[in-house]
Amino acid sequence: MRLIRHPVTAVIAFLLMAAAVALDAGEPAPGKSAPAGMVSVPAGIYRPLFRGPDDLREVPVKALWLEEAPVTNTDFLEFVRQNPQWRRSRVARLFADSGYLRHWAGDLDPGPGATDLQPVVDVSWFAAKAYATWKGRRLLTTAEWELAASIGPDHRAGTNDPGFLRAIQHWYVTPTPAVLPVVKTRRPNLDGVHDLHGLIWEWTADFNSALVSGDARGDTGLDRQLFCGAGSLGATDRSNFPAFMRFGFRSSLKASYTLPNLGFRCALDVPVTPVASVTLTPSPAP
Amino acid sequence: MKFPLSCITVLAASLLLGADPASPSLPKILPPCCRELKPAGPPTDKSLYQLDSEWTSDVGRKVKLGVLRGRPQVLAMFFTHCEYACPIILNDLQRLQKALPDGLREQVDFVLVSFDPERDTPESLRAYREKSQLGADHWTLLSGRPDDVRELAALLGINYMKDARGQFAHSNMITLLNAEGEIIRQQIGLNQEPKELVAALKQSVLEPQRNRP
Repeated sequence: MRLIRHPVTAVIAFLLMAAAVALDAGEPAPGKSAPAGMVSVPAGIYRPLFRGPDDLREVPVKALWLEEAPVTNTDFLEFVRQNPQWRRSRVARLFADSGYLRHWAGDLDPGPGATDLQPVVDVSWFAAKAYATWKGRRLLTTAEWELAASIGPDHRAGTNDPGFLRAIQHWYVTPTPAVLPVVKTRRPNLDGVHDLHGLIWEWTADFNSALVSGDARGDTGLDRQLFCGAGSLGATDRSNFPAFMRFGFRSSLKASYTLPNLGFRCALDVPVTPVASVTLTPSPAP
Repeated sequence: MKFPLSCITVLAASLLLGADPASPSLPKILPPCCRELKPAGPPTDKSLYQLDSEWTSDVGRKVKLGVLRGRPQVLAMFFTHCEYACPIILNDLQRLQKALPDGLREQVDFVLVSFDPERDTPESLRAYREKSQLGADHWTLLSGRPDDVRELAALLGINYMKDARGQFAHSNMITLLNAEGEIIRQQIGLNQEPKELVAALKQSVLEPQRNRP
């Protein structure tokens, strides 16, 4: 890092840093509503399926704005129009395997096999991440995705609702239809989020944090040769079979993979009000 | 005369390389990441050097991975506070370096990239370099932003997560990159004979020479 030599620059830099710290420590701005196409998802607690003996059983997840549906072919078309390096014929093999957008008719033509409101699939993690960055958004962490996905259409604690889990499980064992349904045809969850289940699988920002060497249907006894710290991991809740499936699925992915039932959606951190103005008010005398 | 002359040489060298003269402890030999960048065409379709992310080396300079282009690299991810596997990975890398035949050893560089941006500052990477005796002639130590670390790991097929104690559980993987930054071989697991990696490196150094007109 370059040394700051000018005192004024140093002061400004300090103020900026202080402002950044203040912003960090802020509370969600009251009354701010999510941008169009996004919904507010309240803060909550994620209970990881696998955890080490020293790990937290409960991971706090901040409130966020979440796209109410997966990214569609129409959305993605605009992205590849503006970012030629992500067109099918130009994408670097490093960032997407040869199946990238294979169901589209051409570089800028989704064609009859990919209608406007179907979720975009056959996109790699890199492509999903690039889209999110281009949008000024980001991919969800696995914790955020799992928490959002645990909320049912009728009960907040969807994972305690056998009917909800059964419906998800049923979808998991149903082959992907040749023609994907369009987004938002099913009931949303209680936060107004559609299609977390029942339509496609979704990339998460840290999909590659799952430490499983192969089959995740049981407690696989992770190989210490392959994974540092692996011996410490074990499953917590075996009754949540769909979460097991997702865990195994994610751990089988590579970032350049493209699959006909794997898409994504984006999120945004909820802007916070700086607390600096609050701390200026004098505290009551002791 | 000797003293001022060497002063001028050092100054000239640091200017040439764009080093911050205020930085007190630049080693005499700069690690492979921080030498002059040779001009080259755009990276190949499979090259890791397409990544645009910026990394901080233990000598405190920000670099892109493309600076490593031109020589084969042996790459592993680690973190300095690692209690279990990383010392073994490092041992595997050092054993590989020793096993390279004369003539090849001089042409192969090693890169360690940290999982732990928070604690692996240039200072702690430098301390690790000294403690582990990683010569600046062939060893590069890098740390980067969490997102960029996640992306590089994704490219290498390395999974990792941080636990509550600040330890990283991670895949143990050694990756060989050819001079263009393409993955030519990966070895998963610890404590393996370096024979196959040596053979792959040999081939990767010989191949471009064979293909030359």
